[in-house]
Amino acid sequence: MPNDSIYGKYEAFLPLVLEELSNKIRQADAIYRIQTGDPLFEHINTRIKSEESAREKCRRKGWPETAHSALYEMKDAIGVRLVCSFLEDIFETVRAIRGFSGVRIVEEKDYIKKVKPNGYRSYHLILEIETPFEDVLGRVPGRYYAEIQLRTIAMDSWAALEHQLRYKKNISNSELIGAELKRCADELAACDVSMQTIRELIRNA
Amino acid sequence: MKLLLAEDEKDLSRALAAVLGHSGYEVTAVYDGEAAVEAAKKNAYDVMVFDIMMPKMTGLEAVRAIRTNSDMTPVLFLTAKSEVDDRIAGLDAGADDYLTKPFAMGELLARVRSLTRRSTVYGARELRFGSVILDAEHLEMKRENSIRLANKEAHLMEYLMLNPNKYIGTDELFNHIWSDEPQTDKGIVFVYVSFLKNKLLSIDADITIDADGRGSYILTEI
Repeated sequence: MPNDSIYGKYEAFLPLVLEELSNKIRQADAIYRIQTGDPLFEHINTRIKSEESAREKCRRKGWPETAHSALYEMKDAIGVRLVCSFLEDIFETVRAIRGFSGVRIVEEKDYIKKVKPNGYRSYHLILEIETPFEDVLGRVPGRYYAEIQLRTIAMDSWAALEHQLRYKKNISNSELIGAELKRCADELAACDVSMQTIRELIRNA
Repeated sequence: MKLLLAEDEKDLSRALAAVLGHSGYEVTAVYDGEAAVEAAKKNAYDVMVFDIMMPKMTGLEAVRAIRTNSDMTPVLFLTAKSEVDDRIAGLDAGADDYLTKPFAMGELLARVRSLTRRSTVYGARELRFGSVILDAEHLEMKRENSIRLANKEAHLMEYLMLNPNKYIGTDELFNHIWSDEPQTDKGIVFVYVSFLKNKLLSIDADITIDADGRGSYILTEI
């Protein structure tokens, strides 16, 4: 049976790679809970980029709609979002991921320090994961890319709102709303820092 | 309130210090311009009163040096009646007001009150230290990115930015920023310094607030 997925015959491996990565993350969280009594993150969302989004992204980037583009040029076919309660949890989680065996961080973007002009804050990692499966370059064992986005609950709800603004057509006063959204991002960032500080004050009391 | 008095005539200085002290000011008396600049570098004052003709460094040179250090503390200078050019030069050098000798003590006290009143009114201004900009009017602090400040945080940051590189005690910070709520525990100063330290970190600031471990804090470049 011909496979017309953009991911080709590798499509079947993606959920397995994602599952393995999720397990590593959940295990790190379990260890952290035992050591400190606190969780690393509040919740985890995972997804395989849909056929439609993958093709749209390839077109937008000017790549041919092939498995090679979708699995090698595009590095977020496998995606994990970790939403943390406190700012410091983001960096604790990144430290934990850095220690994963068989996983290499190939790209790191700190949009918490280098905030995007619209106010977007998040911490992005691109991972290269060793797997027992063949990859799109024909290597066995193969390597698959995955993107991890880490953010606080406040950053996550802000991003949800910003997403609505971006994808809703014909919003009146969209510039004004954009400016208010930016102000809101700075206020939420202030809350994140204040809550982090209060947590430190409680811990050191 | 802390007042720096620079007057080289010892008798006049003593008399002024006595009257100002009696009116509730905590007076530091120095007797030349150089000592005035040094004192302004080390301590935070609410107002300064300088004579113009002083040894080592004139009052004018002292004001200029203090303003160069981005210290915006109000300065009142004392001048002889004939020194019109000095009055102009003094105001141009960065002084805020002048009083000609001889003057009535009542008028000196009124002018000092007027200057300190102005400094405690919340100014619509931007302050900068290192690469950090504080927009006190919009309660915003920015460098790599921007972050919102609570009212008291902005007020505390403003006071520290007006008095950088000086150790300032908990009591002094408390008296300036929490004067409207004297029943509050003074531990609030440490809490707000902690808030500001982390907010500075979050905007990747090149400045920080250090503590001396005895309750004094200093805004300093990293």
